[in-house]
Amino acid sequence: MADLSVEHVTKRYNGATAVDDVSFEARPGRILGLLGPNGAGKTSTIRMITHIIMPDAGRVTYDGARVGPTSQQRMGYLPEERGLYKKLKVGEQLRYLAELKGVDRHTADEKITHWLRRFEATGWADKKTDELSKGMQQKVQFIATLLHDPSLYIFDEPFSGLDPLNAQLLRDIILELRADGVTILFASHRMEQVEQLCDDICLMSQGRLVLEGPLQDVKSRFGRDTVVLEFEGDDAFLDRLEKEGRVSIHNRSTRRAEMRLQNGTPARRVLEDAMQHTSEIYHFEQVAPPLNEIFIDVVSEEQGADVARRSSRERDPVLPDAVGAS
Amino acid sequence: MQKIWTILRSEFWRRVRTTGFILSTLLAPVGFVAIMVAPSLLAAWAAGGGGSDAPTVVVADETDRLLPVLKKRAGADYQLEARPAGTPTDSLRSAVLDGEYDALLMLPQALLNGQGEARYYSTESTGFTDRFALGDLVEETVREVRLDQRGTPTEVRAIMEANVPVQMRRLTAEGAQGGGAILTALGFGLGFLTYFMVFIYGQFVMQGVIEEKATRVVEVVVSSVRPFQLLLGKVLGIGAMALVQVVLWSAFVLAGLAFAAPLTALFLDPADLDLPQGAEPEKMMEAAGVTLPTVPLELVVWFVLFFLGGYLLYSSLFAAAGSAVEQQQDAQSLVFPITIPLLIPIVFAQFVIESPGSALAVGLSQVPFFSPILMPVRIAAGAASFSEIALAFTLLVASFLAMIWVSARIYRTGILMYGKKAGFAELWRWVRR
Repeated sequence: MADLSVEHVTKRYNGATAVDDVSFEARPGRILGLLGPNGAGKTSTIRMITHIIMPDAGRVTYDGARVGPTSQQRMGYLPEERGLYKKLKVGEQLRYLAELKGVDRHTADEKITHWLRRFEATGWADKKTDELSKGMQQKVQFIATLLHDPSLYIFDEPFSGLDPLNAQLLRDIILELRADGVTILFASHRMEQVEQLCDDICLMSQGRLVLEGPLQDVKSRFGRDTVVLEFEGDDAFLDRLEKEGRVSIHNRSTRRAEMRLQNGTPARRVLEDAMQHTSEIYHFEQVAPPLNEIFIDVVSEEQGADVARRSSRERDPVLPDAVGAS
Repeated sequence: MQKIWTILRSEFWRRVRTTGFILSTLLAPVGFVAIMVAPSLLAAWAAGGGGSDAPTVVVADETDRLLPVLKKRAGADYQLEARPAGTPTDSLRSAVLDGEYDALLMLPQALLNGQGEARYYSTESTGFTDRFALGDLVEETVREVRLDQRGTPTEVRAIMEANVPVQMRRLTAEGAQGGGAILTALGFGLGFLTYFMVFIYGQFVMQGVIEEKATRVVEVVVSSVRPFQLLLGKVLGIGAMALVQVVLWSAFVLAGLAFAAPLTALFLDPADLDLPQGAEPEKMMEAAGVTLPTVPLELVVWFVLFFLGGYLLYSSLFAAAGSAVEQQQDAQSLVFPITIPLLIPIVFAQFVIESPGSALAVGLSQVPFFSPILMPVRIAAGAASFSEIALAFTLLVASFLAMIWVSARIYRTGILMYGKKAGFAELWRWVRR
């Protein structure tokens, strides 16, 4: 198994710089999360890795050689914008896509049978693709990335549009792939998914890499400035704390709140207030900030808080916590 | 190569097995024959009374000599009645208006002196066939009566009625060959077929490109193969389908010709051709002046080559146009400039048929965008030398190679470009990048 290495890569479109001198590495047996708001340059970066477009400067190598037709055969790519041939039957569709990756018919058919069974979709091979529901088509497309046993996977928002059960199945398979020692690149907006799956992260903003490293290192860099509180009773004290500028609450429901401490407020100040005003406290914990908050912090510095908040919420799917729930 | 072949095979099969393709392959010849034959059949039917009775015509014959001959010649086609004695012309006209008669035919005395004119009044305007039939009828009648008056001998009349057939034969190195007119018509037919097929199949290529882009499947495909391989595989796969259709149609036509002679013979009476009853169909066809030429192999080979060259040249342009848009409707402004060079040779085809050896025809048939349509016309007319054909074909292949290069550059950028409509300036930027 081999490393994917992106070295000082730059891409410009009509004078606008989409990717600006970006470098990072993805290693076998680990999942690298590629994060960033819209227009950060994620898709362009992925397209250079998949050899769909060429960098204007810098280079992308896989297993020591520049990416090209050979590396394409070893990559499984699930683009963010999904798509299949509507009129083809599922079996034909998968066989065609596998053959384009250099798999022979016989092997392709075996793999198709195997993976359709794994996805509880055995009877689908003879169905026309446009007769399938959107979620079913998602599964078919995911299977298409697996058929040629790639050693490098690139998943762009793989969970979007999947129900919790299927998202669970997908997550299991991705973790199995990691255990097999393949290299996985995982692009997403959904920070809780990234937190759950990724070993390393790269955060891009406006074409530049702004944060990079193993997930735990990145989080510890931001310290334990976040408080999680679960309680029963009146929550007006939270509004007061926020108004006084002592905390900023980023996640709040009737009995639970997650907040960042502001202006050097000690964590015990929150606890004292809570003890004074609520009827019961179930849980109090001081933790590192969630990735979403780090994302917003970092991107705010780059682009302003509005852009950051908007893009961190933008693509939250209808079914929340598809992965986190399990 | 392996990848291109995989794409070609998939693009070919997924289309060839559709009902649309099978039906159009089977029904197009039927439809074509129907379009060619139906008008003349209908006209013949209308001329033969159109299912209604022969019109009743009252004849005001001032000569008193024409009507009997006219009746004899008209047979059952017209119900001719003499004017009731003493009825003035005005009353006859009102009788026609009242529907008592279908028409009034007035034959003045002067006709017998070679002067004056016959007049035919009816409430309906007359169809072409009726007009000519009636004109011939009156003319022949007057001629016969006048010849009778002069006591013209039968031999002289036979001379006047004799037909002199002119047989056109084309002189080639292999000897004289008949059916030049049919070959020319075939050349025009082939040129038109090329135009038609390039247009239809170019649109198929464009639709395929647009569909791949609209469904976004293209991104997965180009992460496995180069865009150029995808473009070429698609163009060749759909081209193979066009070729299959043309080959099948040719087979139908050949089979049709094999049956054409005996079928035509069924409608001919050997006696009309001065042949004994029960004469062989081939003999009758020959006597009737209908000779089916043997289609020269040279024409077939060049037609296929020019057909493929033309298809490849135009379809790569259609593919480039398709890659620049996201839906069919947006493609029109880009398709327009492609269809113009496709239409020009059709406009000039008639001219090239009339004078296939003229400098203009030679020049036009060398232009790569025109040669796929015009060259078969000239080859069929026997007016193109080998060096002319070879030059035209070389130019065609060269421009195809240049065009597919340009198209591939537009294509590789276009298929990944969403959300903006690209104009020609934008396309040019993609080519230069």
